Amino acid sequence: MIDDREERDMLLNAYFDGELDAVAARDFEARLRAEPDLAADLRRLKRLRSRLRSDIAEDVPPAALRREIARRYASPPWLRPQAWQSLAATLLVGIVIGGAGTFGALSPRPADTTVDQVVAGHIRALMAPSPADVASSDHHTVKPWFDGKVAFAPQVIELASAGFPLVGGRVDVVGLEPVPAMVYRAGKHLISLIEMPSDSTAAATVTRRMDRGYETVSWTDNRITYWAVSDASDEEMQAFVKALRAAIGPS
Amino acid sequence: MADTAAHKRFAEVFAPHLVDAYRLARWLTGSRADADDIVQEASLRAFRGIAGFSGTNPRAWALTIVRNAAYSWLTRNRPAAVVLADDLGAEERDRIANLPSTREAGGNDPEAALIAADAAEEVRRHVAALPAPFAEVLVLREIHELSYNEIAAMLDVPVGTVMSRLARARRILLERSGP
Repeated sequence: MIDDREERDMLLNAYFDGELDAVAARDFEARLRAEPDLAADLRRLKRLRSRLRSDIAEDVPPAALRREIARRYASPPWLRPQAWQSLAATLLVGIVIGGAGTFGALSPRPADTTVDQVVAGHIRALMAPSPADVASSDHHTVKPWFDGKVAFAPQVIELASAGFPLVGGRVDVVGLEPVPAMVYRAGKHLISLIEMPSDSTAAATVTRRMDRGYETVSWTDNRITYWAVSDASDEEMQAFVKALRAAIGPS
Repeated sequence: MADTAAHKRFAEVFAPHLVDAYRLARWLTGSRADADDIVQEASLRAFRGIAGFSGTNPRAWALTIVRNAAYSWLTRNRPAAVVLADDLGAEERDRIANLPSTREAGGNDPEAALIAADAAEEVRRHVAALPAPFAEVLVLREIHELSYNEIAAMLDVPVGTVMSRLARARRILLERSGP
């Protein structure tokens, strides 16, 4: 079945792939020197390989696919948007926290620049004399303060009834754009909530990241991307995001 | 609780190989959109089967699942590409070697000519046009850089079969895409 041509080809391929043992490889190299046709075929294999690998760097799964798979299969249920509405999700929250730390490290990270700037804004605010530039627990005071400072009117939502009183608002800068940041209190910790307009109509996808003790949770609802960042506990962050999304209403 | 363990396991075992998974699916179908579908399907299969994974080579496990998902997809959508015979005989070989190349097929279409100008895209189309048993061996070797033994173990075929399929796949590609 195997003819001479085929045997020659298989030997050439095995040599090219580094699959021959030392003795066989040495014998084959002697043959290469004696047979110009064989040497020419080896060069063709090399050219074929470089063509096949020429755009391998761009050959990566789209971010949307990575997010989708992480959301469906790599995320504990409490992070999945469709689960927020169900009572089951609420019951699961307490159970799932144990495994959530691992997920945070493995979930696809949003663009580093954005998340880094969001965290940086929060850290700066914690070190400033006041974490908010307009200090008020009343959204009627906080919301108009943003007029003329940022490009769109943020939703300012009061969550005192859920245990997260509004502390005030400030302007952060993300990607050279001034963006509104709301500040909430969660027990002894503060949570910064940044809102940015988004052109994405994709279904809400919640991503979560831990970095140097700060947890960032991000999602998009109704063409607005939200970033919540805090050093509050996991449970507090989950409860905060859940309360906020319930207050904003379904997308 | 079992469900949470499965998510964690998926994140540890399968998720790190998504790039490999996507590459295999894209090369076997020649299409980003089809690769998307296959990777989604493979992820579902991996998630369902994650409890059964006890091996030491998550990458090979992930690639095997993607390969099987790609075969299901090809069987449904391009049955002619899936040759089920253990190995192809001489007659089959000649038929494959004489298949019109995709470049020739689109020769009169200016848009196809434009696309063909992109060498990387062209070579992708040539690979996707190969019968699946040839394409997969080639992709696992050239793109994923697996050894003959690893490929043989993954596909559950003898090393000799891997060698002959790989040699033929390369010969066909060289005939179609020029030196």
